Amino acid sequence: MIRVQDVHKVYETRFGETHVLNGINFNLAMGERLGVLGRNGAGKSTLIRLISGAELPTSGRITSDLSISWPLAFSGAFQPMLTGIDNVRFISRIYDQDFDKNIAFVEDFAELGPYLREEVRTYSSGMRARLAFAISMIIEFDCFLIDEVGAVGDARFHERCNRELFGKRGDRAMVIISHDAGYIRDHCNKFGVLHEGKLGLFDDFELAYSDFREKIGLESAQRSKSEGLAVDRTQLIENTHTVAVRDDGFRVIVQEADWLRDEGHWARAEKSYARALNLYPYQRSYWVQLAHCAKEAGDFARAEAAYRTACALGEPVADVREHVRFVMGKLGVAEKDYPVASYSSVTAKNQPPAWPDVTNFAHAAWHEDALEDEEILDLLRAHETCDSLLATMVADPRFANAQHAWIEARRKDRSDQAVSRESEGRSAHDAETWVRNLAVIACPASGGCDPASAAARISVVQDAWPVLLDEGGFPGWAATHAAIRKQLGR
Amino acid sequence: MASEPTQRVPTLWESARVQKRILSALLIREILTRYGRHNIGFLWLFVEPMIFTLGVTALWTATKSVHGSDLPIVAFALTGYSSVLLWRNMPGRCIGALQANIPLMYHRNIRPLDIYFSRILLEFGGATISFATLSVLFISLGMLDPPEDFLKVVAGWLVIAWFGAVLAITLGAMSHENELVDKFWHPASYLLFPLSGAGFLVAALPPFAQEIVLWIPMVHGVEMVRDGYFGSQARAIYDLSYVIPVSLMLNVVALMMVRYVSRRLVLE
Repeated sequence: MIRVQDVHKVYETRFGETHVLNGINFNLAMGERLGVLGRNGAGKSTLIRLISGAELPTSGRITSDLSISWPLAFSGAFQPMLTGIDNVRFISRIYDQDFDKNIAFVEDFAELGPYLREEVRTYSSGMRARLAFAISMIIEFDCFLIDEVGAVGDARFHERCNRELFGKRGDRAMVIISHDAGYIRDHCNKFGVLHEGKLGLFDDFELAYSDFREKIGLESAQRSKSEGLAVDRTQLIENTHTVAVRDDGFRVIVQEADWLRDEGHWARAEKSYARALNLYPYQRSYWVQLAHCAKEAGDFARAEAAYRTACALGEPVADVREHVRFVMGKLGVAEKDYPVASYSSVTAKNQPPAWPDVTNFAHAAWHEDALEDEEILDLLRAHETCDSLLATMVADPRFANAQHAWIEARRKDRSDQAVSRESEGRSAHDAETWVRNLAVIACPASGGCDPASAAARISVVQDAWPVLLDEGGFPGWAATHAAIRKQLGR
Repeated sequence: MASEPTQRVPTLWESARVQKRILSALLIREILTRYGRHNIGFLWLFVEPMIFTLGVTALWTATKSVHGSDLPIVAFALTGYSSVLLWRNMPGRCIGALQANIPLMYHRNIRPLDIYFSRILLEFGGATISFATLSVLFISLGMLDPPEDFLKVVAGWLVIAWFGAVLAITLGAMSHENELVDKFWHPASYLLFPLSGAGFLVAALPPFAQEIVLWIPMVHGVEMVRDGYFGSQARAIYDLSYVIPVSLMLNVVALMMVRYVSRRLVLE
């Protein structure tokens, strides 16, 4: 039994003391596998280090009559200048184990072949992970600490790891932390949510997860504001993947969507992906997921629009061509008539438009909140570049309708008066996601504009178009400006 | 009080066995990482200090360094420079040692003191083998007389090693808290070199200078080694009732520092 009693951990930082753990209590017996959920920096790894004994608690007690492993698959414990064999030899000596038996197991499990006799620094990250896991398995601990085991390696390796851990060693105690809530759900029988230094314990995963989601939800709204604006659409698209997967709020929604998808609830899964994409509309891989779900749900127009969006945002066309052909076939058109445009990192005006571009332009130019799926699809099919898309939208009667005040002012050269003055003192980070994204696309810093200023000045949807144009927006968008001149009657 | 996870309290004998196992594993690891398996491998452990000592001996012989006695210069350089290597290399290897090996702290039986111990043992071994080998070499070549009092040489050598070791642990632990230690040790070790007794006999100095250099603990050890080597040819001045309490005190400080650092250890 491991007993954790009122454990506190305080780290001294340059900015004063940080209370990472604030009174943690739990017991863990053989056969119990505790999975800990918590956002980034909640103190999950700290908890693991304290249980491992590598660090000591600031106050409180951790007692145990079990032998406890080091954090599993932790490759930092290697000496990179030594060969794989020397590392195995070292661990065998430290733990007083039979080297020959161990090396046989490592050779078999890690599948490193002759590399076992090479220095570890020459290994790939996958090879290191295999060696780390194999070495972790040669000592028979009573309790295993597992910190993000699923991060590297292929499916077969994971499968073998799981067999070693949960099959052969299923009777041991474990503490598991992972970003993959599904991994915790599948392998643990006790669940904890670590939040603000406190650990809440649950016997049921669903209860634990809903508690975790609630606590994440409170924070993600504030967290997303801390990100800076991209300098242009290219950077927006290329950064969004890494930014999104670091956002716990986004991950929670995506995780739910994945589970719904795995259980075949296509329509509900699609809605969840759409909610996630509301936070990061330029995240291409989840547009693919959304498209798959729409396809399975029989919503072919939406599926095609989503596939086109994914490709426009950088998904390799070859990867989804089969699916696009299928949905277009269902819609009764041929792919060659409406070829799928693929992403390239040119300037925004020449990049193929995506779903969020259509809706953002519709907001700004038409004051339309929602378009029919069919119209979105038609617009995506018909336009190879963002510039031609916007030009078409400016030429549309809905533009003249929505922007008549601006058009009037512009004809009298008093365009600035069309902007409401409520936005003084706002910062770009208070703006809604669509405003910030649109500001980046229309007023790229790389094009000499100031997206932050544009985003800060847009507080109501009616402001968007006048502000963007006043900020010198859409630089070099020739077709769009031609369409605007036509609307102004010049 | 906070405590690390504990199991059944092991007997002293069991603990000693674990300690021996850990130290030998760390020693082998250290030798392999430092010297590898290329060319002469771990022989560098003492070949390197031997080259140093030979070089200095040759240099001093060539320049006919004045050292204030009629001792043969080879004997003088060998005892002097070997001692310098002994007390100077141990702190050099211990500063920053913990930071470089911090992932090892995940292995429950390895503690910061083990890291320092293994490095100190290695340095001690290297310097001692180098000193012994060169002594035998010079003696068999007839350039040096065998020590007059072998045990006294050993005792003096151990005095230097003890002081060097506790200094190394203290500085090593301090360097984990403050990187300035590393910056200051290099100039300090160079400045201490000429003052440490390597380049002079205390008896050859004027009385006021004698008083000053005798504050430096290493001087006593070096003098003792020389007393053992050629006691009748030169007058050695040293005071064990000074250097032993000083080392003992520093020893306590060293252990306290390591304990302090261990408790505050932060891993990646």
